Amino acid sequence: MHMADALISPVVGGTMWAATAGAAAYSIKKVKNEMDENKIPLMGVMGAFIFAAQMINFTIPGTGSSGHLGGGLLLAILLGPYAGFLTMAAVLTIQALFFADGGLLALGCNIFNLGFFSCFIAYPLIYKLIIAKGYTRKRIWGAGMLSAIIGLQLGAFGVVLETLLSGKTELPFGTFVALMQPIHLAIGVVEGLVVAAVVSFVWKQRPEIIEKAALGQPMGSLSIKKVLTGLAIAAVLFGGIFSWFASANPDGLEWSMFRTAGVEELEAPDGIHETLAKLQEKTAFLPDYGFKAPETASEPAAKDGEAAAEESEAWPAVSGGTSTAGIVGGVLTLAFAALIGFAVSLVKKKKPDLTA
Amino acid sequence: MSHHMTEVKDLHYVYPDGHKAVNGISFKIHHGESVGIIGANGAGKSTLLMLLMGVLFPCQGEVLVGEVLVTKKTLPGIRQRMGMVFQDPDDQLFMTTVYDDVAFGPRNYNLEEKEVEKRVLQALEMVGILHLKDRAPFKLSGGEKRAAAIASVLSLQPDILVMDEPTSALDPKSRRRLMKLLDSFEHTKIITSHDLDMVYELCDRSIVIKDGEIAADGPTSKILVDADLMDACGLEIPLALQNCPVCGRKK
Amino acid sequence: MKTSEAGLNTTFDMRLLDDMARKETVIHRVHPLVKLVTTVIYLTVVVSFGSYEIIGLLPLLFYPVLVITLAELPIRPILKRMLLAAPFVIGIGILNPVFDHQVFVVGGLTLSRGWITFFSIVLKCILTVSAALLLIASTGMDKLASALRMLKIPRLFVLQLLLTYRYISVLMEEVTRILRAYSMRAPQQKGIHPKVWGSLTGQLILRTFERAQRVYQAMCLRGFTGEYNTGAHERITVRDTVYLVVWGLFFALARIYNIPMLIGSLLTGVV
Ligand SMILES: Nc1ncnc2c1ncn2[C@@H]1O[C@H](COP(=O)(O)OP(=O)(O)OP(=O)(O)O)[C@@H](O)[C@H]1O
Ligand SMILES: [Mg+2]
Repeated sequence: MHMADALISPVVGGTMWAATAGAAAYSIKKVKNEMDENKIPLMGVMGAFIFAAQMINFTIPGTGSSGHLGGGLLLAILLGPYAGFLTMAAVLTIQALFFADGGLLALGCNIFNLGFFSCFIAYPLIYKLIIAKGYTRKRIWGAGMLSAIIGLQLGAFGVVLETLLSGKTELPFGTFVALMQPIHLAIGVVEGLVVAAVVSFVWKQRPEIIEKAALGQPMGSLSIKKVLTGLAIAAVLFGGIFSWFASANPDGLEWSMFRTAGVEELEAPDGIHETLAKLQEKTAFLPDYGFKAPETASEPAAKDGEAAAEESEAWPAVSGGTSTAGIVGGVLTLAFAALIGFAVSLVKKKKPDLTA
Repeated sequence: MSHHMTEVKDLHYVYPDGHKAVNGISFKIHHGESVGIIGANGAGKSTLLMLLMGVLFPCQGEVLVGEVLVTKKTLPGIRQRMGMVFQDPDDQLFMTTVYDDVAFGPRNYNLEEKEVEKRVLQALEMVGILHLKDRAPFKLSGGEKRAAAIASVLSLQPDILVMDEPTSALDPKSRRRLMKLLDSFEHTKIITSHDLDMVYELCDRSIVIKDGEIAADGPTSKILVDADLMDACGLEIPLALQNCPVCGRKK
Repeated sequence: MKTSEAGLNTTFDMRLLDDMARKETVIHRVHPLVKLVTTVIYLTVVVSFGSYEIIGLLPLLFYPVLVITLAELPIRPILKRMLLAAPFVIGIGILNPVFDHQVFVVGGLTLSRGWITFFSIVLKCILTVSAALLLIASTGMDKLASALRMLKIPRLFVLQLLLTYRYISVLMEEVTRILRAYSMRAPQQKGIHPKVWGSLTGQLILRTFERAQRVYQAMCLRGFTGEYNTGAHERITVRDTVYLVVWGLFFALARIYNIPMLIGSLLTGVV
């Protein structure tokens, strides 16, 4: 499942971009070191293969359920983790550009969720561990299933965390997790079955392809540790710098404004929602973005509310008069945008007549 | 003009799975000659071309291009002088625009961008698809793709043009256009094909391959009319030379 | 759910976007790197708005509207793409009104916070998706790749990206042929039976490997040694700089001031 631009904040998007860029740079270095320029066209054409393979509808008879190939794990198995990760990155980039799957800011998140976890966690730590004693039919099935499921679970959890930390949608953490993980368990099972079936086939026909990918890539425990520490440092640095900026410009304080700026609150009488809210209160990560808004933050927010006319953040908190102003202005803006678009296209259409 | 001579001496090639695809082939091709290499499916024609181009290396025997032995070391120089057009143009047009594809070769030899542009435009002009230069290869028709693939090789200004089945999958008009085009080149041409009528029209000389060996080598006008030889090698006399199906008279 | 029909659609869409990118308009002539940077700034600004912002986001509509008209791009296919991208966002967004029942009253209107969040997400989705599509529709993959090279993205990745883009249609056609042949002999099935998952997909992989090998040979025969040389880059002109600065200023203004609110206050006399 792709993260979308509309759901992320610049901080989260930027951090994930940094992490992804780090992993990609390291992978490029690794692929280059192998000095196997043969691999470049292979990576390119295999990327196209993933696109094509996603058209194939794998159905499980009798259940009515079906799935598609995600790709990350299969690429890691066939090309090795580094080339696999880069190929997945290219696939997702093209999806973001041409099919608006995800988006450009969320691209870092998506490459991380769908590429990093399967190529650098599930593949080396699970798949290779099981396969270490050599390829057999049974091991391929076990390793394929397990690593596909775990890779997708991690990816789904990544989506949950990134969405919640972005704070653009106010879903309770527990509910979100309870929604995402089981869905991705099902997706993971189908993916695992497909990967295992495909790898078994290729291994039977052309064993050298699969064994070469596994062999040519020394993934010592040291190197993966290095990658992870590097990434962790980058993420912390980025997150730190950005949240410093963010706190200087209190962005996530709208919640507290509601409470204090004279807006009437009507609690929904629904019992389930209350318990959900309580659950969320317990699980909220960043108090600034959740229900647990600190009392202190509401003081400046209240003042902001009075000066709302020129403060863009505070629209929901303003008095009736200003909100009418907001609506009038909004409608006018829309009308003006439409007018400009219309006028430009009219002029454009006229032009050929004039020149002809 | 001996420096453009292509010579093959006692060539053998065995695929890794043990299949003997080429068994002791020898020939000399002189500058400006156009040679058709013909033979049944699986005779070893494509393998022979790969050996000529240095994509595969022979198990025994040698390939000389302009008196230079083809080895890993001499390959870059030799490849600049030999251009190969692949059977499937999709394998050869790997860039996103026709222009970039035709420029790929010259750019790899680090030519100035001005020179690159000159060569690209020249090559596209030659094959008559200058107007397609900004098109994406996936939007070309089969014939246009073939022309673009040829241009992508011509931009390197090779002395020798090697082509694997250039007329396959072309409609009659495109085939005719392509043949006219090939006929206008003064390059040395080495063409494999099942299109014997084309070979008959374009090539002065034919080499017939059977099971990885040369079954015959000589003027096309003699070889292609030899019904027994053709039959023995899994081939047929070109349609143009067969009896007229309507009146039964030999043309 | 994708079928072989969807495959044809994909190739069709790529052709369409490629056609759009080959036009010659004011927008198409802007330097690809400048367009890329402008798009990224725009996206960042859109995304930086809080989850209750709707009115403040509206001025940012000017960007897609102006680009789409100036670049003479057809609106319908871009809208269609936008709708296809929407389900996940709407799925996540719609949970807001479900879970967030808090309501507040402004000027006699009762508004639910959940719905406001939802509409804010939808608006952001429209803005971000259209910006990304407009970038590629007015630039094209090859020019965008040259912009990436100017940003010092490694050659290896750029070349690989271009190859993937190039071979999508080739492999799509291959898969479409396979699926068509399969469904002709298995007309009752909706998808591919588990028995042949491995062999069907695996065959395709083996063919893909062979194709990659041939592509590699074709590249080598034309002097490829692992380096990919793009041609000379276009220069960034004064016009390009002006384009970037003007949009940058507008985005900044739209971010700092709530423009519709200012206009509205002027008109209604409420300050
Ligand atoms: N990669 C390979 N591995 C093993 N054997 C191969 C390989 N490629 C080709 N062969 C075998 O080598 C023989 C010669 O093949 P080649 O492709 O040169 O034939 P060809 O004359 O070009 O045939 P066609 O007219 O069908 O193109 C064939 O019997 C083929 O099966
Ligand atoms: Mg052949």
